[in-house]
Amino acid sequence: MGKSKKVILLGNFGVGKTSLVRQYVFHQFSEEYMTTIGVRIDKKVVTINRDEVSMIIWDIAGESTHQKIPDSYKLGAHGIIYVIDVLRPSTYKSIEDEMISLQELLPNAPIVKVANKIDLLTEKERVEIVNNLPLNDYVLCSAKNGENVEKAFYKLAGKLI
Amino acid sequence: MDKEKFEVLKDILFEDARKRNEELASKVNAIDEIISDREKLEPRIALILEDQVEFLEKNFPQLFGNAITASIRKQIKESQEEVVDALYPIMGKMVKKYIYRELALLSERIDRQLEKAFSWEGWVTRIKAWCGGVSEKEIIMKGLARPHLEEVFIIQQHTGLLIGSYSKNNTLDKDMIAGMLTAIKSFVKDAFRGGGQELETIEYENYKLVISNLRSFYVVLVFTGFMNAGFRSELDDMLVDFQKEVLEKYLANKEIFSKDQLTQLIKAQFDKLNDGEK
Repeated sequence: MGKSKKVILLGNFGVGKTSLVRQYVFHQFSEEYMTTIGVRIDKKVVTINRDEVSMIIWDIAGESTHQKIPDSYKLGAHGIIYVIDVLRPSTYKSIEDEMISLQELLPNAPIVKVANKIDLLTEKERVEIVNNLPLNDYVLCSAKNGENVEKAFYKLAGKLI
Repeated sequence: MDKEKFEVLKDILFEDARKRNEELASKVNAIDEIISDREKLEPRIALILEDQVEFLEKNFPQLFGNAITASIRKQIKESQEEVVDALYPIMGKMVKKYIYRELALLSERIDRQLEKAFSWEGWVTRIKAWCGGVSEKEIIMKGLARPHLEEVFIIQQHTGLLIGSYSKNNTLDKDMIAGMLTAIKSFVKDAFRGGGQELETIEYENYKLVISNLRSFYVVLVFTGFMNAGFRSELDDMLVDFQKEVLEKYLANKEIFSKDQLTQLIKAQFDKLNDGEK
């Protein structure tokens, strides 16, 4: 039995947090948009170099800033996945401030930034948008076709061991 | 003369057609006879009907499921009173049966208590009642209506991670239950801004979740049945013991404690609550 780690998913509403979890845990995607109320909990066990990590994933309802989310949902988190929508600049315009305040609240929790919905971009648009994203080290992924979804969570799991 | 020749010629030319007509007429008559006579018709269509019945049996839900559901829904919506009238006797019987069963159980327990009345245990109860300043009836009733412990969860505050658990029925993933319970606790705390107050109970029909908050953990005990003040007090004492005897040891030796060991300790401690039923 491996160690259990609390992982929280943060980001604006509609960026695809729930879809990412659904794709990652159940390998499913739905076109239907249903807003998350409060929080949803899922679990996935990942094995990295023989170490087992039980990720207890808290998919928290989206807000324009994480500061609007009650701290009690975030407290004790071992890792964070911050999701943005590549097509909506409003979801990442203040990402630098978000990262700073998250690090203040959870100084030991690694953060993986995920740029979602890349399936909606052409190759050319992809390069253009990625070059204009503030900060670096994003995992570009698509909850719809599953591209890099596993990679994003695996990257965080690696930092949790 | 010409007419006769014409008739002969007609006979010759239409001989085949006439024969075919006669054959067709006799076939039609035979078919008509079969169709009109049930005994003759039955063996001929029985096999086809059997196949059809089999097909319908296999595919009934797909073929008619939606239509029937819609029709029942419509029927219930349009004639609620009739539906209630129709269901009332069935529901009434079910409720009656349930109450009867519960009363039978209660009666059995009362019988057991009466048997004990003049036993050594009976005298112990009387002495307890005299010393404790409570009536003997109250002590006996406490024993009769004891709730039943179904599950125990030991959960870390904030992270919502499950430290240990004990359950009689393996239902949902316990890690997820622990997370969700923590989220509910957090939600209540934020929604009502109750300062240092904490969520202490959740009731769900016959289930009661008793939450006991410690500094870095909280314990959730899931009960079925009626819980009175006496039992609650007994439970609080047991939780204090549990904290001292198990949790503090666990905190001091986290690394060497396995989840299974902790589960055994939880089971040993809280099984005492169910043992009290006997």
